[in-house]
Amino acid sequence: MKNYLELVPLYTKAHRKQNRMSVFCIFLSVFLVTTIFGMADMYIRSMILKTKREDGNWHIAVSRISDEEAALIGARPEVKAISCYGTLNYRLDQGYTIDDKDVVICGADESYLTQIYPDTIAEGAFPKTADEILVSGNVKKELGLTLGDTLVIRDGNGTGHPYTISAFAADLPMVLSKDIYGVFMNTSGFRTFYPGVENGTPDDYSSLFLIQFRSHRNIRGTINDIKTQFHLPDDQVGEQAMLLGLLGQSDEGNQFMMVIYSAAAILSVLVLTAGILMIASSLNSNIAGRTEFFGMLRCVGATPKQIMRLVYREAISLCTCAMPASIIAGMIVVWVLCAVLRALSPMYFADMPAFAVSLPGIVSGIVIGILTVLLASRAPARKAARVSPLTAVTGGAVRSAPVRRAASTALCKVDTALGIHHAMAGRKNFLLVVSSFALSIILFLSFSTTVDFMKHAIKALSPWSPDISIVSTDNTCSVDRSLLSALQEHPAVKRAYGRMFAYDLPAAVNGQEHTVMLISYEAKQFAWAEKYLVDGSLKDVQTQAGTALIVTAAQYNNHSTIQTGDTVTLTIAGQPAEITITGAVSECPFNTATGNIIICSEDTFTQLTGAGDYTIIDIQLNRKATDDDVEGIRALAGSDHTFSDQRLDKQSILGANYAFKLFIYGFLVLIALVTICNIINCVAMSVEARMKQYGCLRAIGLSDRQLTRMIIAETSAYAVTGGICGVLLGLLLNSKLFELLVTGRWGEPWSIPLAELGIITGIMILSVILAIRGPVRKIHTMSIVDTLHAGINS
Amino acid sequence: MEILQVQNLCKTYGKGETQVNALKNVSFNLEKGEFCAVVGESGSGKSTLLNCIGALDLPTSGRISIDGNDLFTMNEEARTIFRRRNIGFIFQSFQLVAELNVEQNIAFPLLLDYRRPDPAAIEEMLDILGLADRRRHLPNQLSGGQQQRVAIGRALITRPKLILADEPTGNLDSRNSQEVMDLLMKASRHYQQTILMITHNNNLAMSADRVFRVSDGCLTDLRHDTKREGFRDEKLS
Repeated sequence: MKNYLELVPLYTKAHRKQNRMSVFCIFLSVFLVTTIFGMADMYIRSMILKTKREDGNWHIAVSRISDEEAALIGARPEVKAISCYGTLNYRLDQGYTIDDKDVVICGADESYLTQIYPDTIAEGAFPKTADEILVSGNVKKELGLTLGDTLVIRDGNGTGHPYTISAFAADLPMVLSKDIYGVFMNTSGFRTFYPGVENGTPDDYSSLFLIQFRSHRNIRGTINDIKTQFHLPDDQVGEQAMLLGLLGQSDEGNQFMMVIYSAAAILSVLVLTAGILMIASSLNSNIAGRTEFFGMLRCVGATPKQIMRLVYREAISLCTCAMPASIIAGMIVVWVLCAVLRALSPMYFADMPAFAVSLPGIVSGIVIGILTVLLASRAPARKAARVSPLTAVTGGAVRSAPVRRAASTALCKVDTALGIHHAMAGRKNFLLVVSSFALSIILFLSFSTTVDFMKHAIKALSPWSPDISIVSTDNTCSVDRSLLSALQEHPAVKRAYGRMFAYDLPAAVNGQEHTVMLISYEAKQFAWAEKYLVDGSLKDVQTQAGTALIVTAAQYNNHSTIQTGDTVTLTIAGQPAEITITGAVSECPFNTATGNIIICSEDTFTQLTGAGDYTIIDIQLNRKATDDDVEGIRALAGSDHTFSDQRLDKQSILGANYAFKLFIYGFLVLIALVTICNIINCVAMSVEARMKQYGCLRAIGLSDRQLTRMIIAETSAYAVTGGICGVLLGLLLNSKLFELLVTGRWGEPWSIPLAELGIITGIMILSVILAIRGPVRKIHTMSIVDTLHAGINS
Repeated sequence: MEILQVQNLCKTYGKGETQVNALKNVSFNLEKGEFCAVVGESGSGKSTLLNCIGALDLPTSGRISIDGNDLFTMNEEARTIFRRRNIGFIFQSFQLVAELNVEQNIAFPLLLDYRRPDPAAIEEMLDILGLADRRRHLPNQLSGGQQQRVAIGRALITRPKLILADEPTGNLDSRNSQEVMDLLMKASRHYQQTILMITHNNNLAMSADRVFRVSDGCLTDLRHDTKREGFRDEKLS
């Protein structure tokens, strides 16, 4: 031993058991910080991947500029890729077709498919000449064409334009769901094909320029610089808001992203504070409980400064003991979550690295660990340094806080009174433990607002969401009813169900004129509607002819006066027909710009309208259904109807849902687990510190049951005070965050989150029970002499 | 009348090579009102004996009965309640409850029994202890001697049949030691209580009715009347 500080590792080694709880506390808080920041980092990375894949890897879109200006922008060192991009027949209203099917025609530079939408080309090469085209994958499947074949695009006048296929694209969600074809031409080919313009500006060809920047560091500065250099007003520069937001480069004018940033900042501060408090309370009781030891060192000649150095060194040694394990554990949790995400939605998250290292997570964990430990050990170190050598060795300073006031035994039993007094005797310790309990609740309640945000921001998949829809091309009841039976027997079909629609029916009710949309449901759809029934009975509508449900959702019929019990007189094919409203539902899968939605049974619909066939048949596929199965269903449906393949759209929604739910619920589970561990550890530390006192009390006659009550009272004092503070402050923060994230955007007013309150209260109670069980069992199995010695030796 | 009966008491710690026989077949009886001192070297087994008699520790074998009640046939809860009501403890380091004041500390065993302390009894005890004017003080506001007097008050308040004292004057100066001993004797005589006291102090041991020596786990009854010269001779020899 060359230096007195070498005492630290020796002491730590000898008192491993005593330090275990402090090490565990540091482990927990560093783990919490590392995992939460690591998870947030991974979530942002996953969403960046998804956004780039779905919406393209571009940052700004500049319109109404010349090719020369575009070339100048493209030559800037910050710009990695620039591509001209224009479309024809995007709204399917210009009459362009391939083999009588609508086609959307895009003109772009090669960089569009190599840099902005990479992995789009499935086979072949981007069109090099003006008479080459790249076509969507469904052209290959449906028309049986191969590379080098000629394909004729017909314009609105019916004139045919032959092109050579140079490449096939992978499946494109929009193309499949709208049952159309997609074509890419190079820019010169597109401009040649574009009708009525010769030697025009890019804007004349409905084209703009998509730009991808090289570095993500100062995108805002670069955008402003480009605007200034080329005198571009704001309306000429569109931004890919989602991607820029995820990269932390949102426009300050983008209120929504700023709100998201501020919410994230609040939550980050809360997580950091939770970490700091947990470590501080642990070190405080660890070091304060050993002032006698420091007093002994003072006796043998250590100066107060040396004592402080010893305490700091010891805190750092505890930190180095706990930190690697907590950072590794945090990273493992992040890896597991990423693996789950990859497995759930390989389409979007296959590129997520298997063993991603989250620098923000690790750095925040290390910084929080070291900084907190140093800050938290300051006060106990000073306290230890102030202890007089005499009082230290006589044991007078063992108590962390001198008792100033006697426990009140008049109001409650002596065991309970002492338990409460134990909790509140050390004001600082009480404050730290209560704050740490309260912060767990605040964290939980604050993070739970992100679940509400998720429910609004990410469209959830409804149980009725179809994989494929076969839709009447003219919105009439023209899809043969027999097709439904055939589809239901198809082995790849899990479920198929049809609906009949009658649009814009004039209706009179209570002397008022309305326009209604009448829809038929079969048994399965009625079963799904059960969840949204707000009035009346579904059974009546299914069994009684001439009855129907009204959809009451505000977004569908703001001014509707139709209510349950009303009789609606519909005018169908010039004839009046009456229908009685026997119930109301709050939700349905359809939207109507004007008028009301009335839902009836198939029998009622046929009785009223005379129609027996469907307007739409929805199909849900089995999990193992293949593309060949889908082609089989397409063949079964024939070519008279629109065959809308929504599998990719569904995958996209599912992917976003999986990612958000996984991380949000991951945060909540993590917070709950850390809360439980923190409470257990706090109580165990408190009991450990009072072991000698418990031994004495047991010797005097305190029974095990009374001791249990004493520990329950002490723990409850922490939990109840922490709970009340946590719930009050948590609700306040919950409401503020809710207003920021939900009310501000969707208008939904805040209400007390009873479910979340119930969950966190349950977690607290469970934690307290678990926390008390361990120490009580331990004390029960120890003899009184052992309990006494445990305290003396500690 | 016999208050304490100890028969063939053995206590062994550890196993194999590390086995220590702290008590070896210890047997003795104490009569009601007897004041008995236990002497012996450090590590001889005195405290182990006291812990076993006080039911703080379980003997390896043997029997202890207090006022006819076998301590180790009771379950833990019953034993605790029996100890609370029938045995008073006085420790060398006082072991007062820091969070309770003098009056509360004295009444503590009654409070643990969920009994309402009789104000007159508390008053009488405070007078005997000379702590009437300190009744609201916390332990950290008292001197060592005063703290030990509170501990004696706590041990006596339930009128236990047996008082066990583990070096009650070990942390006190000679004047306070004498005061505490006088108080203990006075109380014992006043309430007809049996006292078993560990001490290293020969003078204190001499004032006891009986003296036991514990040596290497074995107990020897030195004599019944320590005031005779024999004890002094034996101690000195």
